[in-house]
Amino acid sequence: MEIIEKIKTNKSTDNQTEIQKICLDKLQSSPLPNPKSEQWRLSNKSKFSNFLDYSVNENYQKFDTPFPNTSQSTIRLVIGNNCQINLIEDNYSIQQLSQDELDKYIKEQISYFDQNENWSDLFNLSLSNTKNILGLKISGSKIPPIEIFSHASSNSLNAKTLVIFLEKNCDVDLLQVNLGKENSSLSQSTFFCLEENSSAKHGIVSYGENKSNLLNSLNVIQQNNSEYNLGSLHFKFNYARFEIRIKQSKGNAKTNIKGIQITKKDEQISTYTKIHFNGPNGFLDQINKSLADDKSHAIFEGSIIVPKIAQKTDASQLSRNLLLSNLAQIDTKPQLEIIADDVKCKHGATISQLNEEELFYMRTRGITLTEASKLQLSSYFQEIISFIPVSKDRWDLLEKLLNEN
Amino acid sequence: MVNENLVKDVVKEPYKYGFVTDIETEKIAKGLNEDIIRLISQKKEEPQYLLDFRLKAFKKWQKMKEPDWAGLGYKQIDYQDIVYYSAPKQKEKISSLDEVDPKLLETFDKLGIPLTEQKKLTNVAVDAVFDSVSIATTFREELAEHGVIFCSISEAVKNHSDLIEKYLGTVVPASDNYFAALNSAVFSDGSFVYIPKGVSCPMDLSSYFRINSGDSGQFERTLIIAEESSSVSYLEGCTAPMFDTNTLHAAVVELIALDDASIKYSTVQNWYAGDEEGIGGIFNFVTKRGKCLGKRSKISWSQVETGSAITWKYPSCLLLGEESVGEFYSVALTNNLQQADTGTKMIHIGPKTKSTIVSKGISAGNSINSYRGLVKMGSKAKGSRNYSQCDSMLIGDQASANTFPYIKSQQPNSEIEHEASTCRISEDQLFYLQSRGIEFEEAVSMMVSGFCRDVFNQLPMEFAAEADKLLALKLEGSVG
Repeated sequence: MEIIEKIKTNKSTDNQTEIQKICLDKLQSSPLPNPKSEQWRLSNKSKFSNFLDYSVNENYQKFDTPFPNTSQSTIRLVIGNNCQINLIEDNYSIQQLSQDELDKYIKEQISYFDQNENWSDLFNLSLSNTKNILGLKISGSKIPPIEIFSHASSNSLNAKTLVIFLEKNCDVDLLQVNLGKENSSLSQSTFFCLEENSSAKHGIVSYGENKSNLLNSLNVIQQNNSEYNLGSLHFKFNYARFEIRIKQSKGNAKTNIKGIQITKKDEQISTYTKIHFNGPNGFLDQINKSLADDKSHAIFEGSIIVPKIAQKTDASQLSRNLLLSNLAQIDTKPQLEIIADDVKCKHGATISQLNEEELFYMRTRGITLTEASKLQLSSYFQEIISFIPVSKDRWDLLEKLLNEN
Repeated sequence: MVNENLVKDVVKEPYKYGFVTDIETEKIAKGLNEDIIRLISQKKEEPQYLLDFRLKAFKKWQKMKEPDWAGLGYKQIDYQDIVYYSAPKQKEKISSLDEVDPKLLETFDKLGIPLTEQKKLTNVAVDAVFDSVSIATTFREELAEHGVIFCSISEAVKNHSDLIEKYLGTVVPASDNYFAALNSAVFSDGSFVYIPKGVSCPMDLSSYFRINSGDSGQFERTLIIAEESSSVSYLEGCTAPMFDTNTLHAAVVELIALDDASIKYSTVQNWYAGDEEGIGGIFNFVTKRGKCLGKRSKISWSQVETGSAITWKYPSCLLLGEESVGEFYSVALTNNLQQADTGTKMIHIGPKTKSTIVSKGISAGNSINSYRGLVKMGSKAKGSRNYSQCDSMLIGDQASANTFPYIKSQQPNSEIEHEASTCRISEDQLFYLQSRGIEFEEAVSMMVSGFCRDVFNQLPMEFAAEADKLLALKLEGSVG
């Protein structure tokens, strides 16, 4: 119950929005996620309770490290910073959703929530106030790339929510950046709707600092003939949890996911994905990589659900993991739940360390062990990084991954 | 275009082992309490340590909760409505097989299990268990010449008490899980095998489990110990009559392999699976585990699971000894409303240990067939390797095939590979076979057999033939 009290003490009741009230009500019955449930089984309890240690902060605080420069065409939005956007150009428009539209949509989503599975979303929505919810409606073509920032401020717990509607025949590149601060917790929930024939290249880069925590959830609904590509990268968090739920609501859609999580020291980062095919002819290609070093723990659990209606689904999932230290730990569980018979579904998982033969080869050519390892790692990372859209080059992601500890 | 109904017809096959043997049996009252356990122990004239073992397990069981993580849907089991001991009445102390009730011999004959020692050509020693007791064990003298002990566990308790006391419950402790605790409290009979140092068992050993009464559960316990540099191949078969009530079967199998020893344990499980509406059938909750204690020891599980309304079974290997090897080969076929949740656990503890998992699931009708497996590399399992392959075949669009692999690693210097795929009987291949004049049902059967080939190749010859026949029986049938 502590957590409910905490949320309540931070806000007076009259200040609460209707959505916050609904979510708080729902949370009352399960104030903390059930540790016995499959989704929360491996979550480190003490780390998770650290997440809840900070007091809720609803006010915007400028992020003290400057964001990298952006090209002129890129649209940059920072959630919580009173950002207003209303762009109507000849061939595209980016508009903010009205409060009514936003409330209606979120309420509808909440009605579908499963207490255990969507705990992070309930938690997020019970905390984030209207200032911290950004809703966008995007339509048209040749849309400039968009960057959206969510960040936490030190010694506080921040909640940010993003809702995006991609209208018919629309094509967009979107990069979401979640930034952690020292001793901070960030709860970030994204709801992404792709209408028919739309296509999105979505990137999520989450980059923390010492003792920063992150609870990141992503809910995607894809209509007919939509294409959704996700490239994600999570690193440098004391505790981070990334939940992806994608539903191809009528099938006939394409989903590509490439993600990586990197853990060092005693960090724990986990990725949970659930891809639900609710119609025929769905396609999925997913690869998730983890790298665990020092005493850290990396977790991946992915499920693919193919009900009877989803004939001719073609889904593949691969979990590739590198374990670099004797004290680190990797758990992976790719799972298939299939009823439709005319489908092609497969998954694979590997856990190993750097390839010794390749290292040996490079060393015989005069490359030092450190350099050779770096080379191998960079190719391991590059496959994912190259999939992240928009200004990824300016973030020097590869550089950060290889050189920071 | 394949006619869906045709395939469904093909997978329908009546259960041919569903007869009941009309024989006088001695049963104790239904229910489970300390007195019942004392009574079972007393009937079997057990020493005190075994009674203590049972009572301790019972206490633990009372505190445990029935597991629900496998997501199997079955009606609540009333543990007080089960007879925990049932035995065919027969003369005390049988000196030879001639004295065994001919009806019993006939039963096993009908099941195709040769108990009469004239049928020596088969060269398989059999321990036949009927409800709660072992009826007969064949070829004992020949085995004794090699120092091999093969008898029912009740006899072993009397004659080889030291071994039982030393090893019983060391692989599957009484508190291991709900059903293992129940078994430890009430286990009735089962087989005991001891292979002395350096002996390679001269023939395959086999036990055959038969449930005959509708209201009694079967709780057998098997213990196999392979001393240094010994080897044995053990086969297990099971059938039960058709009743419209559900019967509980909760067995425990423990294997221990010392240095350089190898144990091959094969099962063909064909318990009654219930009818098309899912009425009746055996609830099969089995804990099977092998401990590779010694260096270079090897334990290999192979199973063909075709029966039971509910199957809950995860034959596992604890790989402790350096360079020890664990293997798991499985074919699971589910039809109608059967539910199977089966897989394995490969726990790599010692260095340079290796394990291989090959699992083939075939789901037809409205059945649910899940592979659930764990591969764990402990922090000392340096240089260890695992390879897993799980393939599922779906027949019809009502059946479901699930794969839940749990993979954990704490050792960077080890490798784990897992792959899984799902397919159905390809129309192209069926068309090709049919265009070559092969009947539809035979074509389906051939394809299924081909799908399972990797596993059948691992079965001992006698079983491979039986398994192939069994699958064909389940798949062939009433196509006009």
